[in-house]
Amino acid sequence: MGPPPVVTGISPKEGPPGTRVTLRGEFLGAKAQDLIGLTICGCECLLSAEWKSPNKIIARSGPGKGRGDIIVTTRNGGQGTSTVQFRGYHETIGPMKESAVWVEEAPMQSLVWGRRALSPTNYQQEDPLGLSVEGNDKKFPEDELIELFGDGSGELASEKFHPGWFLLQHHHATTLDDLKAGLAYLRRKVHSQKEGQLSFLKANVGSVMEQLDTIMLLKEQFESDVQKNGKDPTAKLEKAIKDSMAEADKLFHDVLARRDKADATRNALSLMQRYRFLFCMPVNIEKNIKGGNYELVINDYARVKNLFGNTELEVFKKVLNEIEVRIGKLRTVLRKKLEEMPVTLDEQKKIIRNLVNLAAEGDPAWDAIASHAHYLEKSVTACINEYLESENAGGDDSSKTPKSNGLTPTSVKQLRMQQNEENNVPPQVLCVEAICDVVTEQLPDLWRLGQSYFTGQLHVTVDIEKQIPFKSLVLSSMQHAVDAMKTACGTNLDASWLLHNLRRIRQTYASLIHLDLPSEALDIFGKYLFDLRLQCLVALFKQTADKITALHRKETWKIEYLNEHGGVTRLPGLFEEMVLEVSKLARETVIACGPRELPLLAHTSHQTLFHNAVKTLFTAFAKCLQQLAFSGSEEAMDDDESSVSQLIGSPVGYRTRDKQQGPTWEQCLLISLSNIRYTLNTIIPHVNDALKQHGYPPLSLTMSSNTDWTQLDTLDSAVLDAYLERRCDPLVGTIEPSMYLGGLEWHLDIEPSHVRPYVQEALTNLIAVHAEVRRVSPGLLKRVLSHIVETVAEELARLMSCVTRFSPSGAVQARVDITLLTSAVHSYITPRAGSFFEEALDAISEPVCKEDSQKVDALLRKVASSMRLQLACLADDSADGIILKGSDPNRATTV
Amino acid sequence: MSKKPGATQALHKVIMVGSGGVGKSALTLQFMYDEFVEDYEPTKADSYRKTVVLDAEEVQIDILDTAGQEDYAAIRDNYFRSGEGFLCVFSITEDDSFQATQEFREQILRVKNDDHIPFLLVGNKSDLQEKRKVNLAEAQARSQQWGVPYVETSAKTRENVDKVFFDLMREIRSRKIEDKSASNGRGKDRAKRKKKMCIIL
Repeated sequence: MGPPPVVTGISPKEGPPGTRVTLRGEFLGAKAQDLIGLTICGCECLLSAEWKSPNKIIARSGPGKGRGDIIVTTRNGGQGTSTVQFRGYHETIGPMKESAVWVEEAPMQSLVWGRRALSPTNYQQEDPLGLSVEGNDKKFPEDELIELFGDGSGELASEKFHPGWFLLQHHHATTLDDLKAGLAYLRRKVHSQKEGQLSFLKANVGSVMEQLDTIMLLKEQFESDVQKNGKDPTAKLEKAIKDSMAEADKLFHDVLARRDKADATRNALSLMQRYRFLFCMPVNIEKNIKGGNYELVINDYARVKNLFGNTELEVFKKVLNEIEVRIGKLRTVLRKKLEEMPVTLDEQKKIIRNLVNLAAEGDPAWDAIASHAHYLEKSVTACINEYLESENAGGDDSSKTPKSNGLTPTSVKQLRMQQNEENNVPPQVLCVEAICDVVTEQLPDLWRLGQSYFTGQLHVTVDIEKQIPFKSLVLSSMQHAVDAMKTACGTNLDASWLLHNLRRIRQTYASLIHLDLPSEALDIFGKYLFDLRLQCLVALFKQTADKITALHRKETWKIEYLNEHGGVTRLPGLFEEMVLEVSKLARETVIACGPRELPLLAHTSHQTLFHNAVKTLFTAFAKCLQQLAFSGSEEAMDDDESSVSQLIGSPVGYRTRDKQQGPTWEQCLLISLSNIRYTLNTIIPHVNDALKQHGYPPLSLTMSSNTDWTQLDTLDSAVLDAYLERRCDPLVGTIEPSMYLGGLEWHLDIEPSHVRPYVQEALTNLIAVHAEVRRVSPGLLKRVLSHIVETVAEELARLMSCVTRFSPSGAVQARVDITLLTSAVHSYITPRAGSFFEEALDAISEPVCKEDSQKVDALLRKVASSMRLQLACLADDSADGIILKGSDPNRATTV
Repeated sequence: MSKKPGATQALHKVIMVGSGGVGKSALTLQFMYDEFVEDYEPTKADSYRKTVVLDAEEVQIDILDTAGQEDYAAIRDNYFRSGEGFLCVFSITEDDSFQATQEFREQILRVKNDDHIPFLLVGNKSDLQEKRKVNLAEAQARSQQWGVPYVETSAKTRENVDKVFFDLMREIRSRKIEDKSASNGRGKDRAKRKKKMCIIL
């Protein structure tokens, strides 16, 4: 509350009504709106007040008369005071005088109702002194007059008339001469009034006489009238008046009666109308209900209630009861309709409004919500049932695979069917689609219905308490739908169909997001979506793994020389391609986050899932390779014998290989080996990089946890062992028989001229293996040959140590043999092989004389020159390997 | 509040007189509200009243700002009658207004019937020295002749504005004290004056 306003200045301090007054003071309000009251001399002036500043207001004075305070009222300061006063006075307004406001010009005549002169000059009071009052406009202060003359008055007609007052009031500015003239005028007037009577009569004697005559005449006439009509001449008149009054009354009554009658008729008619309305009501209701004009029924019902609601009459009551019964029926009909599904949201709202208008008990809106939710649940369940049914039907039909189901029934599905060109859409997919349709169509309606319920748009009293049940209703229906979809998707489905489902559910999810559903509700969906994505991911990788396992069918055994590792078939390439393809697909569909979705692989457990999925790919490939590697084994077993014999004798098998369509098992093994190596060294890093590029979590974690997580390393050694077994055993096994072929014994003294045939054979066989390996994959030479050489050396050592006695020439022969073999395979000698060779040499008795050692050297030189080609074959050939590749092992054997 | 102004505080009634447009209202508004009004609007009769501290005493000053225009000359007598002290204002830029002061002085003396009524001769618009028409000596000569103080003021710059009002109030106050001490004599005088007036009428 601020300080009260104070008016300390007024300009001007007096004036007639309507004077523009400037008020000055303090705290007159901080703004124009603060000024809420202003009275000048008790007259309200707020209307004309113009707020200028907290110190200044301009207003026009009201019709107040006399001295009075100026009271300003402000919003904050309340009613104020004034140190100055305004004096209002009323001016006599003449034709020459301007006035801002209407001033009552002739107060004394205003009392006379009726005729008065219209000219304003007529009622300007004439000055009794015959003087002009012009120039006396400025009023003599009234309070001064009161002070001077007490309770006198300036009014001429007043009993308290005081001449001093009068003069001061009207002539305070008149000069003394004028006043004197006025006095003379007054005197003259009084004098003329006093003297006038007699002279007046004298002047008009003729007319006076005439008047007298007339009066006499009137008297005579009157007397004769009295004689004629009796004493009371008015009796006749009175009677006539009475008669005419009676007549008039009669006329009037007649008219009135007619009007009354008309009114009565009209009333009766309207009453009839009303009754007819009432009595026709039941029929009308029936008709309108049939026609679906519920609004009309409601309208009529309201009218009837209004008109006959509290009637006492039995008949009406009966009809009313009947109407009530019908309305009750309508209510039940509407209620049923409300629960009948499907209806559009608008229609539902309409029905609810109708029910509300019909004053139905309970909460129709809430019932509608509940039934809607119920229907939603029911339709979801129906979808599931349908799906199950169709699956069963499909099972009966022919095969158990849901794909073969051609009898998918009913509406929604058929729509879907048209979209899918193939008829073999799995019912699970159809079911999910149907559920999605149901959810996208009905859940928004349910939600909107609920929204309009709680915002009071349904014209029912909103029960806020029901918000929680509504929420749980929505949540449970969503949960139900999600559960249904889970059941549908749960069974084994193709990855492509899963993806299809994922897309569909995502669409639904997006449409639900637009609805502003509570996040809990969306989370139900979102969580399921997340699970589905995981499922999809796993399924995709599983599908790819299956495909990879099936890759072995695609093996053509066509070798492509890619790099220094040697030849590989297109299998690893295909594998890489598939892995990349699936990772891309997964990234685009499953991993990619839709609106309001969580990143799929953020969690460690999900990452492990992903890693396992990737691992299955590699394991599948390993399996595939294994299958390929050992695919030739059975075949090889069959012609095992011949293969050995080929090795022993002329290895025609190598020749026939070109004629055969497929490669030999050994070749298969070799190729697989090469493929495995290639996969390990090249493909895996590639795949790793590609996955990383696609934004997958790095594979290093899994890789580090298990050294051979792809199982390729194990496969690698297994294949190698298999190959070595195939190649080594016959080779080594032939050495002993060859050594003692033809009954040759080391103690026989035969002059050595060349290496013995067993060495030649072993060398030839080695060359054959060399060529085979080299043909497939030069990178494997070292691994394979060193192993074979080791075995050969071991066998030689064993054989040599078994010899009981060497003849000198035999010792020379043996030394030459071993040395030559050692030098021939020197590039593949492992330390272990070396030691075996040493052992073999040690077993041979030392040359007894110098001659013998010379003989050995000479023989070695000779043999080396004659077997130059063979030796060159086995030489470390990193430089000229390509040329040597063409060297035919057949030629070597012919030497 | 205004009903009994004299109950607790002394009330000094000051009347502004002088020709039209010399700045009577400007002086008043400057004194009352520290506000200089540029636009000229002829006054009829304005009334102002506020509490001021005069020599450590709270008094009320009532200022009656009168019309300078000749049209209102006839009603001046009435106003003058209630005044206890007069500020007779002229504009130093207008000789006519200075000459008119003579007439005002005579009218006041006639109405008040008192040669020693508190009275100040005020030369306003002292900020407009370049337009000066009435020189200081001339004005001072007249004030000495009348036996009243002469002060030059500027309503625009507020120069001497407070001074003229406070000086006049001091004169009124001392005059009242004087009156009280000789109340008998004054009373007679008043009665005589009233009688005289009656005779005129």
